[in-house]
Amino acid sequence: MAKPLVLEQVTKQFGEKTAVNDVSLQVEEGEIYGLLGGNGAGKTTTMRMVLGLIYPDDGRILYHGQEYSSELQHKMGYLPEERGLYPKIKVSDQIIYLARLKGMSAKEADKSLRYWLERFEVPDYYNKKIEELSKGNQQKMGFIAAVVHKPKILILDEAFSGLDPVNVELLKATVKELRDEGTSILFSTHRMEHVEELCSNITILQRSNTVLQGKIQDIKKRYPREEVLLHTTGTVTGLEDISGVERVERRERGYSLRISDVAAAQEILRRAMEESTVEHFEIKEPTLNQIFIKEVGESHE
Amino acid sequence: MNKLLPVINFTFSNKLKTKSFVVTTIIFAVLLSVGIHLPYIIQLFTGNESTESRIGLVYGSQPEIAESLEAMIAKQPDGKIKFVKYEQANEQALTHDFENGTIKGYLEFGESVGLQFPKVTYTSKKEGMDLTLQSVLQPALENVKMQYVTRGSSLTDEQIAAISAPVVIEEQKTERTAGTGSAADTKEDPKPAVVNYVIVYGLIVLFFMTNTMTGNMIAAEVTSEKSSRIMEILVTSVSPLTQMFGKILGMFLIGLLQIAIFIAVVAANLALPYNQASLAELNLDLSQINLQIVIVGLLFYILGYFLYATLYAAVGSIVSRTEDLGQAVMPITMLSLAAFYIAMFSLSSPNSMLLKVCSYIPFVSPVTALLRFGVGDATLLEVGLSLIILLIAIVFFSWLAAKIYRTGVLLYGKRPTLKELRKAMKAYKI
Repeated sequence: MAKPLVLEQVTKQFGEKTAVNDVSLQVEEGEIYGLLGGNGAGKTTTMRMVLGLIYPDDGRILYHGQEYSSELQHKMGYLPEERGLYPKIKVSDQIIYLARLKGMSAKEADKSLRYWLERFEVPDYYNKKIEELSKGNQQKMGFIAAVVHKPKILILDEAFSGLDPVNVELLKATVKELRDEGTSILFSTHRMEHVEELCSNITILQRSNTVLQGKIQDIKKRYPREEVLLHTTGTVTGLEDISGVERVERRERGYSLRISDVAAAQEILRRAMEESTVEHFEIKEPTLNQIFIKEVGESHE
Repeated sequence: MNKLLPVINFTFSNKLKTKSFVVTTIIFAVLLSVGIHLPYIIQLFTGNESTESRIGLVYGSQPEIAESLEAMIAKQPDGKIKFVKYEQANEQALTHDFENGTIKGYLEFGESVGLQFPKVTYTSKKEGMDLTLQSVLQPALENVKMQYVTRGSSLTDEQIAAISAPVVIEEQKTERTAGTGSAADTKEDPKPAVVNYVIVYGLIVLFFMTNTMTGNMIAAEVTSEKSSRIMEILVTSVSPLTQMFGKILGMFLIGLLQIAIFIAVVAANLALPYNQASLAELNLDLSQINLQIVIVGLLFYILGYFLYATLYAAVGSIVSRTEDLGQAVMPITMLSLAAFYIAMFSLSSPNSMLLKVCSYIPFVSPVTALLRFGVGDATLLEVGLSLIILLIAIVFFSWLAAKIYRTGVLLYGKRPTLKELRKAMKAYKI
């Protein structure tokens, strides 16, 4: 069976400026695909092309093996980055309206809306106006608007920004649930820990180009482990002199060391055991955050 | 297309619930009711006051004239003036009666020299002579003068009556060229009935008002959808064309509802018995309404509305913030204002060259062509041509507006220039 969403060498130009250059990616059924990149990297443009708002200049986008058509609108859900709903209109009125535009009947839409409000434990918002809700709750309503019609392909642009930790967890759980039900999700964010938790495959865009793509685990393996965390009861001297150690930082309960060679880690541990009692020793995997900063540069935020 | 209905429904029902709509409708309804009652209210006030104005009449040296004036006034049907006779101009007695309020003022006649009519002086306390009093006294005195001057001559009473009768200018229009033979030619009235003027006038004002009001509402809706970013969700659900026309139709229904409410208010007010009398006084005969004018008027009204509405929607889609909207819709407002004033100033000369030209220019034709047809001499053929031009313009501008709308809704930031807009259109492949 054809994959739900395939981008093949998609390119988009605005005048002389290239917004997206030769981007390819594939989203499986029941997968959350991470689309990362600094500001202006081309994430939103890519998403808009997937949504059919703008057409690529080159390359093609296939949905279950087919080109874009207006029937696809019913199968897609979108939570834009700068989300918005009608401020002065009741939650029920506008979400049912949006669901009807997605091809649902009013009755189905009402049922689905009630389910989601119940799911988010806010059934009393049914009759409230958007402007009466807090920003975080408005965002939840925006999320409901994106999923109320049970889309097959869901596009989430910065879904968790501006939410408190409790709500982030709630939404994360919901997104995972949707994934497990078979929804293909294209997910963009600046928060790497969310990506590490949710996505298996990612693409990092920088200035309209793909700089990194693949499975998170594979990507991480490509980057050397270069940080060592050491907790000891007393002080350890001469860590700087070990060959392969680049930098030593004194921490509250020990040291954080940057190494250029994994072999140096063993030497560090031996030295530490000689001089003090080791409480904790770890050769850290590079975080996605570090990889991202390395690839995209410090200027991304 | 099955999405058009939800859009219309949503636009309509939500606008209906807004406070601004409810409030403006109520305010207009109240103003209309007051306006209709105005003649009656005025009557009520003035009627009370002048049921009887008592006026002193000093016989003095001209008892003859005074007597015939009294007789003349007595002959008048409404008899609002009562004279109080004074033999002589007795200052004391007159001032006394002034103070008591028995008389409002007094008339005095001067000496007559030869055949000349004596000078007439009206003395009153402060108010001076009010218009109703003057309008009664003036012709009466003129008649008295006529009698006074012709007294003793060989003129018969009939001749005198003929001389004093005012000249009436009757207006009549020559029929249109007999050859065209359209239905409008066989109108029985030589001159359009007053009520048709009223209809044309009313339709023009209505067109201007609803056009500006609903037009601005459409533009504001589009801009607010854009600024609240719900537009991004909407454009992924409905095609911009459906969205735009759904909005325009929804607002149109709102406009129609408002008009229906106003008409109902007017009709209810006019149905009140005491208002019917004042309506009759204004010489309006509802049975004289020319149905053709009403139909053509409504046709132009609807088409004109669509032409302007598409432009308002397009402009609304370009602007990202509501604050910038006023400036952006200015050109359209000016255009409709120009159409309105051309029509208003030409109301008395509906066959001018200016109107003839204007009735074929789409943005001004809805009012000018109606004016020419309603009270001027435009034939159905000319009106049809104007309608066709208008229709073509609507198709063209809807197409253009839809393109602008499609591009505009995704452009944020400052208002784009025409060049930027064209560039964006190309980039979006629209």
